[in-house]
Amino acid sequence: MALLEIEDLTVEFYTEEGVVTAVEDLSYRIERGEKFGVVGESGAGKSVTALSVMRLIESPGRIASGEIRFKGEDVLGMSEREVRDLRGQEIAMVFQDAQTALNPVYTVGEQIAEAIRHHLDYDDREARERTIQLLDEVGIPEAETRYSDYPHEFSGGMQQRAIIAMALSCEPDLLICDEPTTALDVTIEAQILDLIEELADEFDVAVQLITHDLGVIAKVCDRVMVMYAGKPVEKAPVEELYYDPKHPYTVGLMSSIPRVGDRRERLQTIPGTMPDLVGLPPGCSFHPRCPYAEEVCTLEEPPLLDPETGAEASGLGEASEHTAACLEYAGALEDGLDYEVEIRNSESEPRAPQGGQR
Amino acid sequence: MRRIYESEALHRDDDRFTPAERRGDELQAMRSVDGTALSRRLVPDWLRHRAISVEVSTPKTAYTPHESIPFRVTMTNSIPFPITFRTRSPLLWTWYVDGVAEASRVSLRDPPDEPGEFRFARGERKRFVKRWEQAFRVSKREWESAGTGEFTIGAGLNVENASEKGLTDETTVRIVPEGYEQADRTAETG
Repeated sequence: MALLEIEDLTVEFYTEEGVVTAVEDLSYRIERGEKFGVVGESGAGKSVTALSVMRLIESPGRIASGEIRFKGEDVLGMSEREVRDLRGQEIAMVFQDAQTALNPVYTVGEQIAEAIRHHLDYDDREARERTIQLLDEVGIPEAETRYSDYPHEFSGGMQQRAIIAMALSCEPDLLICDEPTTALDVTIEAQILDLIEELADEFDVAVQLITHDLGVIAKVCDRVMVMYAGKPVEKAPVEELYYDPKHPYTVGLMSSIPRVGDRRERLQTIPGTMPDLVGLPPGCSFHPRCPYAEEVCTLEEPPLLDPETGAEASGLGEASEHTAACLEYAGALEDGLDYEVEIRNSESEPRAPQGGQR
Repeated sequence: MRRIYESEALHRDDDRFTPAERRGDELQAMRSVDGTALSRRLVPDWLRHRAISVEVSTPKTAYTPHESIPFRVTMTNSIPFPITFRTRSPLLWTWYVDGVAEASRVSLRDPPDEPGEFRFARGERKRFVKRWEQAFRVSKREWESAGTGEFTIGAGLNVENASEKGLTDETTVRIVPEGYEQADRTAETG
């Protein structure tokens, strides 16, 4: 039994403009201790997925269908009290903007200690000791003095470390990190990612890392899911995704990463923008931006398929499975996907192309 | 004993930045009244239906196959106080092509069985732009091209008997083969 199983999850927001289907028919699983990455553009449904797991979707949003099972228990069927016990204690979340996540009128230490007292029934002194120990573990110097500091007295990186300490305070089994390093500069980003990785290994916590940065995924994750317009378009073990991407959107994302020493005058981009989730185009949602789109792509929406056999992927899928939602793998495209993956070594010398399609 | 606000101490009309005196006849408390909710209870149905008009328009009347057809739905509240409609579900309004809701022959969603509220501020005009890609959804993952011919695009509030209450509107577009678009337009103006 996997730690977290999400099956056919659909989340809708009823707005004046119409119904925004933020997540549609999403299935995935996270095993114990696994680091699972979710990547995609803004508005792809990454954060809504994370909030659904914690049952934190607020009106006008609602989980229209699907199942969320944590350790085999149905999260959607739980009472509000049961879900409150789950949040923080079993599943913890690290938000993008630590400054907003921290309460400005309480000291940082008190905010962490409060969670410990609530979930673990520690008394004031024990909670304080545990908090100081946690602040020390996440690399905050002079943790004992810093316990009484207010959030504004911490730098951005330290605030994010405090949030991580808070998330780990009750030793959860799953840590959901929603773009934890977006608001930080690259040096601090590297430190925070190292910290998440180290602590996840130390505490044996599974991590669901949400980001729009493929570099972050490569550094931390074992398996990755690429999302586009609320749907998964590719799921693969991380190395396979980088060395042998199967979906044109993943290929587009990879080629848009800027590289030092690249002599191109303009950065490579994926033309166009993500469609409005109120009215997705017919067929494959990515077809208006896809350089390989054919007429069939405008009338048929592919499910996740096994690129080798063309068989439709089963709901949750196996951990080692590589699947992509492109009609190419159903044999429906006449001209196929015409791209090549070039792997360069550290001296930036191109090596023989690998993978790639016709 | 004189209270401080009864004294002249607070009156500083020699200061350039003295705020304007409040006009005594203004009802400040009215600002906190939920006018929309009050309107829902006080405004009779016949007036509510008359107040709101729905209009559907397209930039042109003839399109070639595969051309995206944008249409604009404008809903206007013509009276100077707020209007609230109780809709059948949180889905506040719908659009259709030839009577097919959201151009889908399969049910797309099952809206929750609870009413929604569609609010219009006084004199408010709401505009929604949608696109019809000349296709009808025939199954969860398949669409069918609409082909050429005449199609009616409509929109209306999600209330009982919306068309009888004048809360819907329709417009007609033609999908003509490539090259015939110009001839079609000439015939129309001629």
